Parts: sequence; structure tokens; C-alpha cells
Amino acid sequence: MKDGRLEERDTTMQDTKIKASNVQVYYGDNHAIKDVDVEIKDKTVTAFIGPSGCGKSTFLRCLNRMNDTIDVARIEGKILIDDEDIYDRKVDPVQLRAKVGMVFQKPNPFPKSIYDNVAYGPKIHGLAKNKADLDDIVENALRRGAIWDEVKDRLHAPGTGLSGGQQQRLCIARAVATEPEILLMDEPCSALDPIATDQVENLIHELRENYSVVIVTHSMQQAARVSQKTAFFHLGNLVEYGTTDQIFQNPHDSRTESYITGRIG
Amino acid sequence: MSLIWLFAILLALAVAGYWMTRRRAMTSAGGDVRKLHSLPNYYGMNAAMLSLAPALIVLFVWLLAQPLLVDATVTRMIPDEAIPDASNRGLVMSDVRRVSNGLDALVDAGRMSAQEARDLSTDSDDIRASMAEVGVALGSDVRPEVLRAAQRYRLLTGRGDLARNVIVVLIALAGAGLAYRRTTHEFRARNAVERGMSLLLLGAASIAILTTIGIVLSMLTETGRFFSQYPWTEFFFSTNWQPRFGGGSDLGFLPLLWGTLYISIIALIVAVPVGLFSAIYLSEYATGRIRAVAKPMIEILAGIPTIVYGLFALITVGPLLRDWFAQPLGLGNSGSSVMTAGLVMGIMLIPFVSSLSDDIINAVPQSLRDGSFGLGATKSETIRQVILPAALPGIVGAVLLAASRAIGETMIVVLGAGASARMDLNPFEAMTTITVKIVSQLTGDTDFNSPETLVAFALGLTLFVLTLGLNVFALYIVRRYREQYE
Amino acid sequence: MTDITPDHEGPGARQGGSIMRQTARTRKRNAAERRFEMYGMAAIAFGVFALIWLLTTILSNGLSSFSQTYITIPVAFAEETLDPEGNRNRAEMQKVTTFSYKPLIGEALIEAVDAGNMRPEGMPDAEIAAMVSNDAAAQLRDRVLADPKMIGTEETVEILAGGRIDGYLKGRVTMASAELDRNVTPDQLRLAGVMEGNGLLEKRLNWRFLTAPDASENRPEVAGLGVAILGSAYMMLIVLVLALPIGVAASIYLEEFAPTNRLTDIIEVNISNLAAVPSIVFGILGLAIFINFLGLPQSAPIVGGLVLTLMTLPTIIISTRASLKSVPPSIRDAALGVGASKMQAVFHHVLPLAMPGILTGTIIGLAQALGETAPLLLIGMVAFVREFPDAPPEGFFDPASALPVQIYNWTQRADPAFVERASGAIIVLLGFLLVMNIIAIVLRRRFERRW
Repeated sequence: MKDGRLEERDTTMQDTKIKASNVQVYYGDNHAIKDVDVEIKDKTVTAFIGPSGCGKSTFLRCLNRMNDTIDVARIEGKILIDDEDIYDRKVDPVQLRAKVGMVFQKPNPFPKSIYDNVAYGPKIHGLAKNKADLDDIVENALRRGAIWDEVKDRLHAPGTGLSGGQQQRLCIARAVATEPEILLMDEPCSALDPIATDQVENLIHELRENYSVVIVTHSMQQAARVSQKTAFFHLGNLVEYGTTDQIFQNPHDSRTESYITGRIG
Repeated sequence: MSLIWLFAILLALAVAGYWMTRRRAMTSAGGDVRKLHSLPNYYGMNAAMLSLAPALIVLFVWLLAQPLLVDATVTRMIPDEAIPDASNRGLVMSDVRRVSNGLDALVDAGRMSAQEARDLSTDSDDIRASMAEVGVALGSDVRPEVLRAAQRYRLLTGRGDLARNVIVVLIALAGAGLAYRRTTHEFRARNAVERGMSLLLLGAASIAILTTIGIVLSMLTETGRFFSQYPWTEFFFSTNWQPRFGGGSDLGFLPLLWGTLYISIIALIVAVPVGLFSAIYLSEYATGRIRAVAKPMIEILAGIPTIVYGLFALITVGPLLRDWFAQPLGLGNSGSSVMTAGLVMGIMLIPFVSSLSDDIINAVPQSLRDGSFGLGATKSETIRQVILPAALPGIVGAVLLAASRAIGETMIVVLGAGASARMDLNPFEAMTTITVKIVSQLTGDTDFNSPETLVAFALGLTLFVLTLGLNVFALYIVRRYREQYE
Repeated sequence: MTDITPDHEGPGARQGGSIMRQTARTRKRNAAERRFEMYGMAAIAFGVFALIWLLTTILSNGLSSFSQTYITIPVAFAEETLDPEGNRNRAEMQKVTTFSYKPLIGEALIEAVDAGNMRPEGMPDAEIAAMVSNDAAAQLRDRVLADPKMIGTEETVEILAGGRIDGYLKGRVTMASAELDRNVTPDQLRLAGVMEGNGLLEKRLNWRFLTAPDASENRPEVAGLGVAILGSAYMMLIVLVLALPIGVAASIYLEEFAPTNRLTDIIEVNISNLAAVPSIVFGILGLAIFINFLGLPQSAPIVGGLVLTLMTLPTIIISTRASLKSVPPSIRDAALGVGASKMQAVFHHVLPLAMPGILTGTIIGLAQALGETAPLLLIGMVAFVREFPDAPPEGFFDPASALPVQIYNWTQRADPAFVERASGAIIVLLGFLLVMNIIAIVLRRRFERRW
């Protein structure tokens, strides 16, 4: 936590996209996230790493209030996005989630056509004025999802018919289509083979230019490859947060070091 | 000797066989259980099984076959001339059986010796009167050939029963003896018993098939007889249903089909939206407390017998619709109507649709919901645009199952829909259904040789085929749907 | 076209604004959301309303059948009419028919009315005498025959009032309806009101409704459920004895032993389809096979029991298989591992663990069978039966009625008093179903194991 604060001095206020302070999450009686403070920058890839069950995914789901859909989850503390408290009573989670998109562990295309999958978000948020406009948005999103060339000839084939890697890129395109400012990715490559993983990682690199990307990963190598900043979670605590280089080469906390070197996890 | 005594003897033989064989097994092992291949009880069970099972099978077959054989023999004694004009062979034979039972009753009551019953003739005694005294009511005086046939019938049945009892007991003895003889300490009794057991289990499972065969056969033969007396084109394509006892009936199936479908459609119009929205609300919106109260209440609707819904239609919904809708709108004066039956049947189907939809909605994986919420969709958008389209095949299956229920429902339409067969669009008019007509043609005085009675079997078969087709199709759709998410 | 297209090249271009403020579109979407939720609530409300409406209808119509109106008056049991020989010989007394008892009651009633000065002006004797039930004389005769010492004395007895008088006390019959009714006069109702005020006439708990047999068209006040309850009990016994073992055996075979082959497939498909065959088809089966082919008697519980057994089997098999399936394979493996045969593993270990689930399913199947009406209509159980069937097993072959069929029977009668009886019978039926379901729920709660 100390390191997080150290890091803060190096950045200007405009660069901070998400600022969480004192976040506690309870699942019923289970205290899943303990006192987490973190600041996440814009146009940066931030990786959350840690052993399974450490709370990294739980924390990620707090950032777009996906935990609201779970009855027993209870959240305390403050999470600010663009200096606005997302747990404020006035905030509509629907609007928040349009701003903070999410990609899930398992590719989950809707049982609709590829086109309809991508068009779903723009349609519900009313982003397109007409059909031509919608076509534009879909094409753009698919291009940004680095999958346009593979599907442009079969936009009306079902999305579930694609391969795993294609499905996940479709889901990323789907998330991008609603024009979010932040993209949350919950272990987006864990269900993919190495080649598909490589494609998705390359995509994440490109996405960084426009979005603030937060990625949860169980693979340290992946965190090292794609992220600029890394946060290490352990048993619900944010143990250490810093530049990826620093975390992997010069961890300050002994627990981080143990995890990096493979002694825990 | 009655059947119950026969059963008792068989049971006693089985028990005796059990203990004797068990003892023999113990003796052959020198009293040391460890030397036996199987536990001692298995030797006993083997004997009980071998004595009971074949005997019971033979008994069962005998019970089915004997009446047929005796009938076939006796019926030859009645010449065609002896059958009165207004009657037929079947009716005469049932007279014969009744007289024969009457003779039995007379002998049992001590009014007559067995010899006298055999020699009784129509000249000397008032048979009808004496039989009435022992509780056997005859429709007319006994004619001589009927009496002779009855005496013959009684004789054959008596001999048959005696032979049956002797043979069955002998088989039981032989089975037990065989098991006893085979019993040594090396005999694999457990394996033998388990083989028998699995045959028994298979037999139990086959009863489902036997039931279906029974349903199909019983309706097919009678339907065949119906179509031999009444042209099938008239049945399937005539729009006129007017049974007349005494012949010359119009038995057109179309008005019944129309009533059935009309009522079912109204029921589905009520049940599908209400059931579907209840399921959606309960699984996606309701808080725990509301769910805990509302869900059981909806389920109670499913546990209420249909006769209760029928009475509800008859005394409450029917008059209500008549007084508040039909009469003010000038649409009719009948409490029984398509609307009454359809509405009440719709209420009955709500829990059916709702629980099926609930299963189907819950089968849609959570990841799809997450994906939709993650894009900023509201709950209703997620339900309408992701969950329902994904669940659509399953819901279509559920609706088809509900439709098959509605088509086969009887008591609500018997009490709520009325009995007049007509093809009309006015939903406040009384109409009738296939099931109502099955009930009305098969209750009361029935003559199984007239088309007016036999038509019920043709209706039943049509109903069976209709609902079975819907079910098979619906189950196929639902299964395909489930496989998609497994 | 392109110039009005929102800029979707850069991220955040669209949202831009604060998430604290709802956009107009979000408000619209939230309104649609609330509307959608309202539809759901309306659907639930409709279902709950229908249930409450149904139950209140039945209760308000039927609860009154558990009480009955009686007239309490002293009756003189004149020896010269009831026992002309004077020797209390029962055989001779039995020759005295109810016709001789009837005037006895009539005279006693008229005397009691006049003694209390209650007679409305101009009301003839015959109308007063007609206020008692047609069955009252028979009931009195039974009492006298059971206790001949009553003869020659005067005793205060309870006499069953007629159906219309009973209806008046229950609010079903009014002065206005009596004007139009040939079976009752306004004077009789007026007199009944006065007698009630004087304590001669009162409504009391009516156990006979549960124990007495059915009664004819014009005696709704004595009609009871005795034969129907007994008949239903016999049928449930038959269903239990046949369906439980056969269902369990079939399920064990399909779940544990069946090889995957054509026959097994056919059986499985068959069972799931049988579960959805309309119940009336089973009635046709019963009529054609059990009555016409096997020659079993009509209206007999044995036939009803067999038909209901075949109908209930699929339900029991489906629920039994589910509870066998829920016993984890590790239990079977453990038993096989210590050298038990497959049969032993199933019967000693799996079956006992699955038993609560099986019993729950069986009770629910029985409850279903208890309320089933349509197939019983076809096998002749609608017949009017006043005699109680004998004790089993012979009683299984005697004519009897069944609860749901009795309800149907009563709905087909003209006298509106039978609507009350039918509703009352439904209360009894629902009571039995409630008890059975509670037993099932308790079983499930107490013994259900989650693996």
C-alpha cells in the first residue's frame, strides 16, 4: 500500500482514472476484500495478480458494480471514477457499466449472430441513429477487436460457432462497441489456447491506446507481457502495487517475492 | 376354493420351502456358515422364488385364458336362431354368465344342491324369482337354451378352476422340490436369486410398455369395430354431432375438435403470459421474502384437483361471466361456455407453465446474464433480448406440453364448457370437447355394440394420438434445448 | 448522414457526461424496466388472486355443510303404532315401516309448535309436518329398533330438519326464493325463525357428513361422504401396495441395472410419455381391459385402484429415479469395494439412502391419484352407492364411490343444497391432500441429505 502511495507522486491528477480507498467486500460472513486502496491510470494496462481466491476478481467486479447482481455481496469504502463515487445513490449502474466495459473469463457470446452480438450494446444504449450508422459502429468495433477480417463475410452466422479465441475477441469487440472508457478483463485468456492467447494479448496492447485496461490474470508471465502496472493481491489484501518492472524485478514485500519466485500460489 | 385360499396355499408352500431348503443348506455345510457359497437365506429365497414365480405366472395366464376358452365353447351351444332380434350374441352371453353366477349363488345359499343346479330346467322352476332372492337380478325370464348354456358354462368353469388349482399347486411343489434337491453347500444360491431378482425388476419396468400396449390395443380394436359400423370419412370430416340412441346418429368429430382447440387456445392465452411472467418475476426480480410466499402459493394451484376447478367454473366463474359479460354484451345466456372453461383451465395451467419456464430460464447460463449486464443492459433488456431468445425453444416446448394438458383435460370442460357440439366463434357460447363426449358416451347405459358407444374409443384414440404427438415433439424440443447448454 | 453520426472514433466521446446524472435515455430505459417488473408482479398477483378467489369460493360455499339444523322436540313413541303385538319382538317391529313413524314426528312437531304458540296465522298442519327431513322417520325407526325400551315413553329427541329449513338458517334460502319454490313456503321459514328463537331449532356440528352414505336427490340434508371416503381409502391402499413396489423395482432396474440398449430406450421414452397421457385415456383402458375383458365388476375399488396405479406409476418412477440418482456413486463403489454384489450394494446401501425421496414422491403421486376424477367416471364409479363396501379384500370388489367422483355426482343434482355438499366434500378432499403434502414436506425436510 505504501508503494501505491509512492507511485501516486509520480503522476498527475488527470491521469488517474479510478481511485479506490478503503474498499471492503463481504460475501455474507466472509470478508473477501480487506481495506484496499489503489489508483488506476488512464491509457494504461493494469494487471491484478495473485494466487486463486485472493480477491482480485472480486475487486475487479466492484469497479463496474457487477457485484450488485449477487445478493449476499456487501461493499464498503469509496471507489471514484473520474472523481465520481460509483456507489453513490444517484448513480445508475446501467450507465456506469456503459462507461466501464467488461470481458469475462469464459467467452460468452450471446446465441445470436456475430453482428447482433456487437450491435447489442449500441442498440440498448441508443448509440446509432440508423442502420448505416449501426453498421459503421459494428465494423469499427470488430476492427478494434482485431477480428473483422475473419468474420466480415459471415456477420450473420451465429457467434457461438466461432472458435474460442475468436469468441473472446468477439466479446472484446462487443464490449468496445459501447464505447467505454475503461475495460475490465477477468482472466480473458484462461479458457484459450496459446495461439489465441497471443492474439488477445496483442489486442490488449492496442487497446491501451484508447482505454484504461484492468486485467485480472493468474499468469505472471502474461502480466509481465501486457501490463505497465501490476497489483499483487493476497488473502484479500492488496499487498503491493507498482510498475510491472518494479514488481517483477524488485518486489518490496516478501510475500510478493515469494509469489513471483513461485514459493506461494 | 377361492383365489384367496389358493394364494394362501402358495404362500405357505413358499415359506415352507424357504425354511426346509435353508436347513438343508446348513446341514450340507455341517452347520458352518463359512462353508456355504452364499448366505443361508439365499438358499431359502431361491426355493421360495422357484416355487412362487412359475406358479403365479401359470395362474395369471390361466386366469386370462380360461374365460376366453369357456366362452368360445359355450357360445357354440347357442344357435343363431336363438338370438332375439333386438339383441346380439354378446348380450346373450352376458345373460349366460349371469345365470351361471345365479346358480352359484343358489348353491352357496343352500337353496339347491350341486346336482339340482346341474339338472335344473326351465319347465319346472321359476328361476328368475329364486335368483332374485339371492340377489341376482335378471332382465327377463330364462330361456331354455340360455339355461343349458349356463349350466354348461358353470360345469366347464368349475372343472377349469379345479384343474387350475391342482396344477398351480403342483407347479409350486415342483419348484420348491427342485430348489431343495439342488441345494448343496457349493450351490451358488445368491447368483441364482439375483438372476431371478433382475428378471423381476425388468418385469416391473416393462409394465410401462404393457400399459401403453394395453391402451393402444384396447382402443384400436374398439375403434376398428366402430369404423366397421360407421364410415371413417363421416367421423373425421362431418361437422355434425348428433348421437341418437336407436340408430341413425351423426357422429362428426370436427365440432368436438373445434371446441377442444378453442378452449385450449383461450387457456393458453391466459396461462402462457401469466405463467411466463410469474417465472421471470420469481427467478429474476422477487426478493427472498416474496419468493418464499408467492412461489408456494402458485404451486398450490398445481396441487388442486381438476374437479375443484370444475366446480369453481360451474358455480362461480360461469355465472359471473354470464351476468357481467355475456348478457350485457348480448352474447348469450349460458353459464357454461368456452370462455368459462378456457379461463379456469388457464388458471390451472399457470403453475405448469411457470414451473417449466422457471427450469428453462434457469438453464440459461449465468455467463450470458453477466455478459449482458457487463455491457450496461438493464434486467428487462437482458431478459427480453438475451434470456428469452436463448430460452425460446424450451419455452415453445413448455407451451406445447401445456397445450397437450389442455387438450386432454376433462373435468373442467365437463363442468364448465357445456355439452352442445357446435362450431361457433362466440366464446360465450357453450361448446363441447372430445373429452366431454368420451365421458358422456361411456357413462350411464352403454351398449358396446352400438356406434354411439364405440365412438368414444375412436375419440379416445384420436385424443391419445394428438396428445402423444404434441408430447413427443415438445420433449424432443426441450431435450435439444437442454443439450445446447450442457 | 455521416455528419450527424456521433463520433465513435475515440473512447468516451459518447458518455462524456457525469454518471451522477441520468440521461434522458437512461430514464426511459429505467421506466421500461419498472414497467416490465410490474408485468411480473401483475402475473404473480393474478395467480395468487386466483388461488384466494378459488379457496374462498369453496370455503364460503362448503363450510356450512359441516353443520346441520336439528329440531329438538319431545316425541311420544306410541306402542299401538310401533309395536302392535306389544312383545318388543324385533322381527315384528321391523314390519312397521317408516310410514308409521312419519305421522308421529309430524304430530309431535305440531304439538310443540302450538304449545309454544308459534304457529304463523293460517299455516296448515301439513306444512308444519313437512319441515322435517324425509329421512327423519327412518332415523327415528333405527333408533327405536336399536333401543325398543323407548316404546311407550315420551322422549325429547333431535329430529333432522328439511334441506330448505337448513338452507334458511345458513342463509341460502330466503323469503324471496321461498315464494318461487314449490318445496318450501314462507310460513315454514317464518316458523323456523321463531323456533330458532325459542331454542327448538338449532344448527350444530354435523359429523354425519363424514360418516353417512350418499342420499337420494331430494334428501340433501342427509347426504354424506362415508362411502366415498372409504372407497377412496381402499383405492389409495391398492395404489400404495401396487405402485410403490412396482415403481421402485422399475426405477432400480432402469437406474442401476439396465443395459444401454433398444429395450431400455423404449421403456424410458414410454414412461415419460405415459406421464403425460390424459387421465381419461387411462379410464378407457380400465373400462376396456379390466371391466370388459377381464370381467372385473363395475364401480369397484379394485378397478379404480388398478387404473390409478397405472396412472401413478410414471410419477413414482420419475421421482424414485431422481432420488436414486442423487445417491453419489461413491456409496456404490464403497459397497462393491468390500465385495458386495451389485444387487447387495443397491438393496443394502443405495435404496435405504434414497428411501425418503422415494416416499416423498410416492405420497405426492398418491395425492395426485386421490384427486383424480375422469378415469373413475368411465369405470362406473358415478353409480349411486348407499351400501358401505365390506372389509378388504372382498370389499375391494364391492361397489363404492370415491371422493372426487362424489363431488362430481353432487354437482349434477338439481337441488342447490348439493352445491353446499359438493363444496364441503372439496374441503374434505383438500384437507386430505394438505395432510399428505405436509407429510411429504416433513419427510423431505427431516431426511433429505445433500451430498
